[in-house]
Amino acid sequence: MAKRRIAYYLMTIPALVLFFAFHTFPAIKGIYYSFTNWDGFSKTFDFVGFKNYANIFKDENVLNSYLFTFKYAIVVTILINVLSLLIALGLNAKIKFKNFFRGVYFLPNILSVLIVGFIFNYIFANVLPIFGEKIGSAFLSDNILGSENWAWIGIVIVGVWQGIAFNTILYLAGLQTISKDLYEASSLDGASRWREFWSITFPLLASFFTINMVLAMKGALMVFDQIVALTGGGPGRATQSISLLIYTGGFQGGEFAYQSANAVIYFIVIIVISALQLKFLQKREMDM
Amino acid sequence: MMRKSTNWTITTLIALGSLLILFPLYLTVSIALKNPEEMARSIFALPTGLHFENFANAIAATDFFTAFKNSALVTIISVLFILLTNSMVSYAIARNMNKKFFKGLYFYFISAMFIPFQIIMLPVVNQTTTFHMNNIVGLIILYVVYGLAFNVFVYVGYIRSIPFELEEAATVDGATTWGTFWRIIFPLLAPINATIGILSCLSSWNDFLLPLVLLGDPESYTLPLVQYVFQGQFSTDFNLAFASYLLALLPMVIVYLFAQKWIINGITQGAIK
Amino acid sequence: MMKMKKAIMPVLAGVLAMSMLSGCGSKSDGGASGDAVKIEFFQNKTEAKATFDKLIAKFNSANPNIKVTQVNPPDAETVLKTRVAKKQIPDVIGIGATDTYSTLSKSGLFEDFSSDPLTKNIQPAYLDMLKAQTGLSELNGIPFSTNANGVIYNKAMFKEMGLTVPTTWDEFMATAQKIKDAGKVPFYLTLKDSWTTLIPFNGMEPGVVGIDFFKQRKEGTVTFKDKFREVADKQLQLLSFGQKDMFGKGYNDGNVAFAKGQSVMYLQGVWAIPEIQKANPSIELGVFPFPATNDPSKNKLVSGVDTLLTVSKSSGHKAEAKKFIDFLLQSDNAKQYITEQKAFPAVQGVTQDDPSVADLKPAFEKGDLVDFADHYIPGAMKVDTIIQGFLQKKDVDAYLNSLDTEWDKVANRK
Repeated sequence: MAKRRIAYYLMTIPALVLFFAFHTFPAIKGIYYSFTNWDGFSKTFDFVGFKNYANIFKDENVLNSYLFTFKYAIVVTILINVLSLLIALGLNAKIKFKNFFRGVYFLPNILSVLIVGFIFNYIFANVLPIFGEKIGSAFLSDNILGSENWAWIGIVIVGVWQGIAFNTILYLAGLQTISKDLYEASSLDGASRWREFWSITFPLLASFFTINMVLAMKGALMVFDQIVALTGGGPGRATQSISLLIYTGGFQGGEFAYQSANAVIYFIVIIVISALQLKFLQKREMDM
Repeated sequence: MMRKSTNWTITTLIALGSLLILFPLYLTVSIALKNPEEMARSIFALPTGLHFENFANAIAATDFFTAFKNSALVTIISVLFILLTNSMVSYAIARNMNKKFFKGLYFYFISAMFIPFQIIMLPVVNQTTTFHMNNIVGLIILYVVYGLAFNVFVYVGYIRSIPFELEEAATVDGATTWGTFWRIIFPLLAPINATIGILSCLSSWNDFLLPLVLLGDPESYTLPLVQYVFQGQFSTDFNLAFASYLLALLPMVIVYLFAQKWIINGITQGAIK
Repeated sequence: MMKMKKAIMPVLAGVLAMSMLSGCGSKSDGGASGDAVKIEFFQNKTEAKATFDKLIAKFNSANPNIKVTQVNPPDAETVLKTRVAKKQIPDVIGIGATDTYSTLSKSGLFEDFSSDPLTKNIQPAYLDMLKAQTGLSELNGIPFSTNANGVIYNKAMFKEMGLTVPTTWDEFMATAQKIKDAGKVPFYLTLKDSWTTLIPFNGMEPGVVGIDFFKQRKEGTVTFKDKFREVADKQLQLLSFGQKDMFGKGYNDGNVAFAKGQSVMYLQGVWAIPEIQKANPSIELGVFPFPATNDPSKNKLVSGVDTLLTVSKSSGHKAEAKKFIDFLLQSDNAKQYITEQKAFPAVQGVTQDDPSVADLKPAFEKGDLVDFADHYIPGAMKVDTIIQGFLQKKDVDAYLNSLDTEWDKVANRK
């Protein structure tokens, strides 16, 4: 029996070692660097205590990237969930070519975010303006990525276009677990479609809703590829996400230690958000 | 019953929605096949000439086959390692959740689900450099590690739903823990392996950030990274650029066309569990 | 024991497989492919890729035991710094004399060429320029070509509209106004690419404020707020002469649009000329220095080291790397580069005779040159994004304020 136990322990070793070496250890090192003034390539550096942290709270660019990232994440999460739930309901209805459409709606999920971003970059710069001019809209006939106020919408569009795919499939899976009998019973009662959705469908989808919200939010908070492909963080710093700031500042600006401190703060923020989100959504789930 | 007949309103709406999905892809294909003169006439129209030389030029300019080989190597090997190592550790955890060590390990691993990669990006780049791992091997190892949190969460949940009796019978027959895992549990994991395999495959194949910060030698660049690196050269030659994008997207699209049902079912199955 | 062995087997197999893989990986890193020594040449100019490819092909066929490959990524300076952080520094590097060059030189990453025979044929003024910029006694790069930053104009359109090359700011604005009144676009602005906003900034700063400003700013005796209002106002004034959707267009769009006659003038450096000529080989164009002030003697030509060549200290093949640099510096090769790129030579005895840049020749001969202002601004400040943001918001006070606070913030982090 002892051997059995040893085997179990051995099974965990490769994963444990790798995980510690390439996840936990770098995280600790990152925290360590955040108290120094290292630029990422010099041979020497000094300890500066909490100076980086103090500076971050005074840094408008950091604040700006948090505001952008959260604005983006909230809008994208809501849009993705509303739209993908609608599409899933549609796909679950009695429609023709069900499998074909299901395949089409899932297609964006298998494509590289970066390349999709490049394609949309072209669309925003060269296709939408043609369309805008045709309908006589001055607003649409300019590249929206060039506008400080609207560039983020372009990034949202790409995020939603691609993000819907995965969540639709999850909602569809959820809908298919709901027994048809429940609906049969309700239609005998003459319940309206609307009431049927809120009293039967949605409560039974609650756990899928939770997962989808968390997944969409998590993806949106890490937004990077689309921004690189579409705006590079511009105009000005209008679409600079936290990820992009850590990447460009950390490597290019020679602010390795400073952005490490930023990463530590971001980590704390993410933990708090995740905890709140899970607590809130699970409570809802139980209420229903 | 009313519900038995086809609902044409919803069919129409769904069809219109799918046009929004297909339009950018239609543009990609048609621009990739046009030449600048055709583009100047109309961006939207179907290509008249089918300029396959765009693809030949893109292959030559970006060294497509090297990048394809790199992407394929990274994806296949990392998926194999993910399936083997992650399911193994999950099995050990799932069968020993009553022990502090394994329970602790479980929460240690899944807590990483909440840590975006960006947070450890700077030190990871630094560390992989020290270990001379800023190459394809390092990329594979990091994919195996960074999938762990989510995969352990999914595997453990699934393994705990497999009745213990099967293994007990095997133990009575004298099988070791390893034998039990490989011969009895691993085959039973097939549906969930499919789910995790597909998801890992998609994320490794399409990843951009990790290759961007990790890979040093240009000969080890993966397909998305190559598209990024060649942005400047594509300049305003959109036909060349789109031919290159299409080539980079195509391998996965082809796999998807043939295995669409299997891929979607694989993901759906994982979701219901 | 047997069972233990069985238990360890899969683990061992895994480790073995991994190490075998990394074995292959490191071998190919070392530069296998026959016996040729692989030299990676990293350079930041997209425009120059084709020219360098030709020169490399020539070098490779003359030196079968060396294989040079060119790497030219977008946002090259970020990529270079990432490569430095990865300790995988390319063997030969070609970059501008920018803040990145200074920072990396100060970190001691490049070879010292102070007494290297490679510098023999280089114009001494440029060697001094590099030293002055880094403030080091070492010389960490070899100037290869220099550039000029100004106003590119369509000669045929100027003639057609009866315009002459302006030498003062007022003339410049009057010219732009005339073009606008004639229903044409004076400047094609490419503000989606933030770096292009630096061109007029660099064009105006030396005349209006002066490069000395940055030294004084470091010492804390002046502020942007005191000195830069005129620059800011003029930056905004230029916008009124731009085309529609100027914030939605990038550098590549601009080159093509100017080549096709969509604007009469184009605020760019001479490095854009090859790209413009690619889009329209028959275009007749010229370049004049940016008329920043109303005193023509103050309106010097902005010119700096466009490409310097350097070798990484950590390169395993320094001799071969230097051989490649020596090859590029040979006058026929330097001449080919200068001619195709419309750049100006740093190599003695090579001249730039292209008619498109003939207007600039006197400035080079008289030495009426002044350096790029942004080379004196810390890279971490990302001054181009600050300018891009300002041009959108058009709030001069906020702009000057953010230049000062960002400068202090970066200084404070050191």
